Amino acid sequence: MADMMKFSVPGKPQYVSTVRMAISCLANSLGFDVEAIEDIKIAVSEACTNVVCHGTIGNGEYEVCCELREDRLVISVVDKAGGYDPETHREPCLECPKEGGLGLYIIKALMDEVEIVTEMGIGTRIEMVKYTR
Amino acid sequence: MMLQIQRSFDREKGVWNITPKGDVDISTASMLRSALDEAYRENKADIILHFDDLNYMDSTGLGVIIGAYGRMKENGNNITLKNPRDNIRKLLRITNLDRLLCPELCE
Repeated sequence: MADMMKFSVPGKPQYVSTVRMAISCLANSLGFDVEAIEDIKIAVSEACTNVVCHGTIGNGEYEVCCELREDRLVISVVDKAGGYDPETHREPCLECPKEGGLGLYIIKALMDEVEIVTEMGIGTRIEMVKYTR
Repeated sequence: MMLQIQRSFDREKGVWNITPKGDVDISTASMLRSALDEAYRENKADIILHFDDLNYMDSTGLGVIIGAYGRMKENGNNITLKNPRDNIRKLLRITNLDRLLCPELCE
């Protein structure tokens, strides 16, 4: 069974860098190269930024879960903000251009696999996978 | 401090030199926006962003720069990034913003 690590993070901008640094240390210890570590750092930050801008109620917490497998790192960023309909317009946000669309585009470009599951009334989970080559 | 920004106006060349050091993310992007806006308000001129000491930037920083680029273009001014590190080069490349913001990478 894979090792798991979970972080419960306040939905405030100042903690995104803390998550980024923690995941960076984790990826380093798993043997990812410098480029892959940078990819993971940006992808995780983008996912957390999305949650902080759109996916928390007040300053509610969200979870970052890491699954350490032999050949891959699986990172899930999970919020409980009720989910959203991707087809409908979301509130524009000064910190994220194109209403977060650029962030998701970047995540998909940098990670090997990305899955976004949103459940109306519950929340949203972005699962990102990076393989150790 | 996670982000420090120095700015100076080169009167001879008529350009702003702005040097951010550290990380630009959701918690510091507003500092970069203020620095760009204040500089441009003070002197409507081209801006060169020196990225030599910028360790990290994501879409929040790109958003700030794209916003400033759009406002400056209306007045015929430009914003250019110099010497971005590999992680930021990659970000510029995958978003196709290198041609717009950092032509030196495409030469």
